[in-house]
Amino acid sequence: MEAGAATAPGPSAPPRGAPPENILLDVRDLRTYFHLADGLVKAVDGVSFSIARGETLGVVGESGCGKSVTAMTIMRLLETPPAEVVSGEIWLNDQELLGIPETEMRTVRGNDVAMIFQEPMSSLNPVFSIGDQISEAVRVHLKLSKHDAWDKAIDSLQQVGINSPERRVKQYPHEMSGGMRQRVMIAMALSCNPKLIIADEPTTALDVTIQAQILELLRTVQQKTGAALMLITHDLGVVAEMVQDVMVMYAGRVVEQGTVEEVLLQPKHPYTEGLLASIPSKGRRGQRLNVIKGTVANPFNLPKGCNFAPRCPFRFEPCPDHDPRVDDPGGPPAACWLWKPAPGYSVAPRVEQGARTASGGEAQIP
Amino acid sequence: MLRFIIRRLLGIIPIFLGVIIVSFALMQMAPGGPEAAIQGQQRRLTNEQVDSWLARWCLQREDDLGALALEFGGWAGILNCRNQGSEMLFSEQGGLNFLPAFMGGGDNGLLHGDLGNSTNTGRSVQEMIGERVPGTLMLTITALVTWVSVAVAVGVYAAVRRYSLFDHGMTFFSYVFYSLPTFWLGLMLIFLFGPLLGWLPTGGVVNPRDWPAFGSPQFWSAAGERPLDAFLDIGRHLILPVTTLVAVNIAADSRFVRASMLDALGQDYVRTARAKGLATRVVVGKHAFRNALLPLVTNVALSLPFLFSGAVVTETIFSWPGMGRMFIEALGNRDYFLLMGILLVTSMIILLANLVADVVYGVVDPRIRYD
Amino acid sequence: MTGRAVDPTTEAVAAGEAGASQPAPDDYEVSLQPLSQMQLAWRRFRRHKLALVGSVLFGLMVLLAIFGPIIWPYDPLDIERVTKPGGNPPSPGEIFGTDSLGRSVFELVANGARLSVAIGVVTMLIATTTGIVVGALAGYFGGFVDSSLMRFVDLMLAIPFLFIVLVAARFFGSGDPLVLMLIFGVLSWPGLARLVRALFLSLREQEYVMAARAVGVGHLRIAFRHMLPNALGPIIVSATLLVANAIVLEAFVSFLNFGIRSSDISWGTALARSQGTLIQGNWWWPFFPGMAIAVTVIGINFMGDGIRDALDPRARA
Repeated sequence: MEAGAATAPGPSAPPRGAPPENILLDVRDLRTYFHLADGLVKAVDGVSFSIARGETLGVVGESGCGKSVTAMTIMRLLETPPAEVVSGEIWLNDQELLGIPETEMRTVRGNDVAMIFQEPMSSLNPVFSIGDQISEAVRVHLKLSKHDAWDKAIDSLQQVGINSPERRVKQYPHEMSGGMRQRVMIAMALSCNPKLIIADEPTTALDVTIQAQILELLRTVQQKTGAALMLITHDLGVVAEMVQDVMVMYAGRVVEQGTVEEVLLQPKHPYTEGLLASIPSKGRRGQRLNVIKGTVANPFNLPKGCNFAPRCPFRFEPCPDHDPRVDDPGGPPAACWLWKPAPGYSVAPRVEQGARTASGGEAQIP
Repeated sequence: MLRFIIRRLLGIIPIFLGVIIVSFALMQMAPGGPEAAIQGQQRRLTNEQVDSWLARWCLQREDDLGALALEFGGWAGILNCRNQGSEMLFSEQGGLNFLPAFMGGGDNGLLHGDLGNSTNTGRSVQEMIGERVPGTLMLTITALVTWVSVAVAVGVYAAVRRYSLFDHGMTFFSYVFYSLPTFWLGLMLIFLFGPLLGWLPTGGVVNPRDWPAFGSPQFWSAAGERPLDAFLDIGRHLILPVTTLVAVNIAADSRFVRASMLDALGQDYVRTARAKGLATRVVVGKHAFRNALLPLVTNVALSLPFLFSGAVVTETIFSWPGMGRMFIEALGNRDYFLLMGILLVTSMIILLANLVADVVYGVVDPRIRYD
Repeated sequence: MTGRAVDPTTEAVAAGEAGASQPAPDDYEVSLQPLSQMQLAWRRFRRHKLALVGSVLFGLMVLLAIFGPIIWPYDPLDIERVTKPGGNPPSPGEIFGTDSLGRSVFELVANGARLSVAIGVVTMLIATTTGIVVGALAGYFGGFVDSSLMRFVDLMLAIPFLFIVLVAARFFGSGDPLVLMLIFGVLSWPGLARLVRALFLSLREQEYVMAARAVGVGHLRIAFRHMLPNALGPIIVSATLLVANAIVLEAFVSFLNFGIRSSDISWGTALARSQGTLIQGNWWWPFFPGMAIAVTVIGINFMGDGIRDALDPRARA
């Protein structure tokens, strides 16, 4: 049951060393594959991105596109039979996380990087009190005494807006509602003052009204502590409200990155455009909903060339054969031959047209 | 927590009453009823003893409902038939009859340990059972402790080292041992370690050449003088019977613990624990294990009656001086009252053990305490 | 998009946008093949190697039960001369040896199969039918019916099973195998009833039950026609275990001479009085009949495991 064993960086990433001072997390060409009985699944297939200190990055995509696996790889929480980190580097400050031993990684988890999961109902241990569970991390990482750790637990419950924390801290998870449990999870994540918080679909399992509260809480917490936030979600509305930068993923690859205005108002990748177009809006009552044709790529049998090509309405000649992956984050905004010159072509079609969106038009207001 | 224990205690009472009533009914079903059985004891008991017994149990000549109620009261120890009318609720000493003797109560019937006399030996059933209870308890308690600790150790290790050689080996052996009939396993072990290898004693609880009869007062005083020797000798004699008794249970429960641990290890809260940066030892030993324990406690509690059934088998095969073997002997002799006495005492012990298991479950799982 | 110069790039894009031929999306999709529940279960069972082994073992024992006494008939007068007090050890003539009376242990095993296996199966049938009826009624109707039935079941389960069985066999049995089957069956159903009740209690909340009630289907029909098939999985597994338990129980009870009369041959009576010879070092008499029992029980348990995994609704095919 050895999780999170490290692997050496693969041949595709030239060693660049630690990222500059203001960049907290720098993921370079990460590939995580799963060896399953039915075949090889390339869950994360060449993902590169970075998060600056105090910044918020939204990671969007359909279920199964590799967002959670990326997060779990950063935390090194995957079980390494089936999973294997085939190549890539993950830099946190000046530490390369995939290369350090497990004992050192344990000091990072919960301490420098904290993670909040999707299911608050089952993410807390039912047989231990809330106080026990919060103070556990504090005692391990901050080396506080039992008494001090308990006080800190009460304190963090207060911070996340739970009333009468001295009473709540002795309670058990089954005595709390879903929203409250998620607050406890956030409190637990905060307790050791992490520099990066990874929230994997934190509101998906909650009621809509509670969702707003939890998001508001996350935003407040982030502002107060100055932590960076990696918010994983499939809900574009959440993204619009919460984040500064967005990364869109499809079938294990990043298809588009940019600021939230760029990506949501002027989507460059056909997939992003399709996602935005499929949001029902009041203005288009009585018409058929837009869908992206076809179904999500079969992870055991990914298409050659561009992953999205079979479903893309703008597919053209180079797409099925050549992978438009973007290796350099400073380069083209979308992993698409519309924006990068394909082999055998001198210019990319949309760049040449001076277009701003995938379908060749200007700004769109969804 | 205390409220929880009291509630559980109250819950047992109906079943307790049920067992008593069923025993009483069975007793009445014997041809001629208990009076005939007692009267038939002439050869073993003096006339005074027989009369005293009939009086203690309020046995009547009539067969109507009122008479039955009286007999039940006397037999259970609630009524004192030496008095008349409403005075029957009170004992010779003046207190309520159903209370223990030292609190002013009576000395007759079930509540005071008066279970009649054996039709075979004439001795009081209470005395005979008392002699054999230590033997059975020694066997079953040792067995219980061994069973749970080995099953847990093996199951947890196999879960943590899934698919290893140990895991596969354990699965194979547990499949095989689970299916072996207990008494046959005992016979084979006797042959293996007795005539064949000669390593272990195959019967009895102590070496008869070194010690007086087990359970007798002479034995206890001799044991008091040489406690370490007694301990070792008893221990040597315990090995085969305990192994026979628990082999099946260990086989079944180690797989159960393994499955339960794997289930716990796959839960979200284990993922949370690891995300907090806790060491694997803590994640497995504290977070997963506490949750895996819950179904095991239930399982053990459910299997307790089978521990006693198994004790009957084991005591017979290994000539172990316990209640189980005495039961078989009584069965052979049609020793009616002794049989009933043993049945009652064993049922009570099992009910109490279930209560203890319930409390343990409440301690381990906080969700149960508040229901 | 107006006034473009002709450019290979944009031409290609335009062609793509016009929907030229492309690789079929189907190549990249997962295909689904519907199979019925029973077919899925059978597939899973077949892949479970231990279950197949178990089925073969049990099948062999059933064959032995049916044909054993025909192929190797037992003749009480066919006695070997006993050379040692505990019987003759295994030899080329008598592969299982003889008991202390000179009877062939092999013949005892071959003939004993019939009664032992029959007791196992009949006990299971009695206990299962009674247990299902009682458990279903208790679980379906709940309330008062449930409490009273379950109080009774709890009572029966509070007294150690073996004790009650032995008492019943001693006082009501007369050596007759049929009576023994009845006793075993009647005393075994409470355990199964409790299981069935728990299953029905949870199934009662399923939507199809409410739907059936809404349409006006009667209680009994819902319970036995709609709910019971869904509960069948764990019931079947328990039933197979009952067969195994009954066979072992018969063996022990007859071993103590409280069960089947010694003039009838079962694996239990074959073992009666055999313990004494063990101390003298004569292992074969208790070994072979017991081995037959063990093999049968192992086979049944493996089969039961396979059935349980096959019928588990959460398993993949």
